[in-house]
Amino acid sequence: MTNPIIAIDRLSKNYGPVQAVRGISFEIRPGEFFGLLGPNGAGKTTTFGMLTGLVEPSGGKIDIDGMDLCSRPREAKRKMGIVPQGFAFYPTLDAIENLNFFGRIYGLSGPHLKARIAMVLNLVALEGKARQRVGTYSNGMKRRLNIAIGLLHEPEILILDEPTVGIDTQSRNAILESLGNLNKAGITVLYTTHYIEEAEQLCQRVAIMDQGEIIALDTPSNLVRSFAKALIQIELFEALEDRLVLPLGKIGPWNWADEKKRRLHLETETPEAALRFLFEWREAGKIPLKTLNLLEPSLESVFIHLTGRDLRE
Amino acid sequence: MNQILALILKEGKVLARDRQALALLFAMPIFFILVMNFALEGVFEAGGKSRPVEVLVVNGDQGALGRRILDDLKRVEGLVLAETAADGSLISRDKADALISQGKYPLALLIPPDFSKLALSPSETNPENRAVVAFIHDPAMNARLLSGIKGAIREVILRRSFTARMAHRLKEALGPLALQSPMGLTPFPGLLNSLKDLEGDRAGEGRGPSAVLFQSLSPQGLQASRHPTVSEQNIPAYTIFGVFFIVLTLASSFFQEKRDGTFQRLLAAPISNAILLLGKLLPYYFVNLIQIALMFAVGVIFFKMGLGNPLALAMVSLAVALAANGLGLFVAAVGKTEAQIGALSVFLAITLSALGGMMVPTFVMPEFMKVLSYFTPHAWALSGYQDVIVRGLGAKQVLPETGMLLAFAGLFFGLAFWRFRFH
Repeated sequence: MTNPIIAIDRLSKNYGPVQAVRGISFEIRPGEFFGLLGPNGAGKTTTFGMLTGLVEPSGGKIDIDGMDLCSRPREAKRKMGIVPQGFAFYPTLDAIENLNFFGRIYGLSGPHLKARIAMVLNLVALEGKARQRVGTYSNGMKRRLNIAIGLLHEPEILILDEPTVGIDTQSRNAILESLGNLNKAGITVLYTTHYIEEAEQLCQRVAIMDQGEIIALDTPSNLVRSFAKALIQIELFEALEDRLVLPLGKIGPWNWADEKKRRLHLETETPEAALRFLFEWREAGKIPLKTLNLLEPSLESVFIHLTGRDLRE
Repeated sequence: MNQILALILKEGKVLARDRQALALLFAMPIFFILVMNFALEGVFEAGGKSRPVEVLVVNGDQGALGRRILDDLKRVEGLVLAETAADGSLISRDKADALISQGKYPLALLIPPDFSKLALSPSETNPENRAVVAFIHDPAMNARLLSGIKGAIREVILRRSFTARMAHRLKEALGPLALQSPMGLTPFPGLLNSLKDLEGDRAGEGRGPSAVLFQSLSPQGLQASRHPTVSEQNIPAYTIFGVFFIVLTLASSFFQEKRDGTFQRLLAAPISNAILLLGKLLPYYFVNLIQIALMFAVGVIFFKMGLGNPLALAMVSLAVALAANGLGLFVAAVGKTEAQIGALSVFLAITLSALGGMMVPTFVMPEFMKVLSYFTPHAWALSGYQDVIVRGLGAKQVLPETGMLLAFAGLFFGLAFWRFRFH
């Protein structure tokens, strides 16, 4: 078995009394497309920060291709291409000026740098706008330039933090396709997102993160299989007393999805029978039912099953 | 209406949460009022009753006239005479030179040993054999203020000399009266001539030159060949004022990099923090040096300003730019919001300039303000530039100022590195 290109061991980060990341451990193999999935505030961006050397860990260890990130930061960082969530470039410069600058920072120069700039601009389809000030770019173009900068120095690992936030579907699809192609070309990708469909589409393995912990880690298909239950999301017009909800236990495990007790999640292995029971329950108890949503077994239902929360909350 | 209220409420909350910026907004004008008031008070009241000008006196006169003049001067409102040093010894010429060179006194009055003799009996045939009173002053002293003080002193000296000389001549004239014939046609010809003479002297239109001459000297060791021009006085001060505005530009640049995420991207790159800071700071350092060169070039081209010793000028310039950059990095390290950085930069730029004597000379400031000025790099920079440009001093003489500026730079950089948060 090949050595992991990223090995994280009991990594933690505390901000005062708040534990943002609580001793997580996982490994990523070379050439793998690895997803770090979790809702906002799960600790993904803090983990991204520690992996890229931006955030100092409170504890634990990160090895990049066998090198300790703390003791050999420069060599380790050279192996990584970073695509942060924000647009990290100079808006008053054009794309070539930005790429030229960041290329030099990573030690590139001369014809090699020029060739790399041309290559990444082609990859993200920005050749036509290369001499335009990037402050005038659309969000989609900015996202693509962000990725281009991360790829400029031919990294072995590409680490992306929510790279498709706030862009149109067309740009998003173009980015996802490019990332798929890069991975096929051999680049290891660590992709943090809260978009389940992106993780399902791209990732070979997914770690689900919640409240600073990794609560599940496997391939998307294995995760779905292991928690293979349908999920019914119920929304009510008004809060219900617990005694009125108790009969739902006959279908399967349930829990309130919000503090106001107006949304609840119900798991079932027999969705059809469960739906019949729910309609009878509504009639008998005059339940103020607003919506009812049946989710087939998926990564999203797995997440809700594990966390009791919707991923986009 | 609801929308306006919502906007007002939101803006109020945002402002209230940035307490440091808010405190600076209030503290800044209060501080300006205090500093500028104390500083400008000196200009408006210098030479007045509440803020007398201290004048050193080196009285070598062997006669009585010098002492009488000093007694008269003591009664002049707005002047305080210092004849003895702190240890009680009489002020010597060398001591006066040293105290003026150090900027502790603006002016000294030098009364020569033969003053009484020459003032009472000026030579009619040799115009150079007359009483000469010398003013010793720092060439870098504000010319307008100096002229006012010198005018007041000159007035007193001339008046007292005139009176003394009149009495002397009367005595001389009345002495041979006893030898005159009681039947003579002109009973008091000598007295009449003397009075006519003295009238002319008093009005400055006499037959001969004035009985007392005045001379302006620089302290020994300082350039005495000429007086500073307005540009030589002002351009160094405005240059220092401008150099320290780099604080705002530099600190804002760090803030923007952090806000835009480019700083994070740079931190994620394989470069050391030291290289990162050096690469960020050097352009601003060069901007400062270009700024200084440009402002002095304007002085030379448009105002025929002299630059003095090039090495000494370069030493002060390199050091002052370093101090300004250090202060900029310090503001970048402590400013958490754009508002804080803006307010703190402007606050420091203006307050330190006022305290450091960029707007009014420090010697007209109250004593505590003078002491405070030593805690600003501006005062040392101005002193350095004046040493080179106005006083004509060389590299060795500006070492103390250069050293102090480097110490300020070290302090600012030290504090900045201590407070700077890379992550």
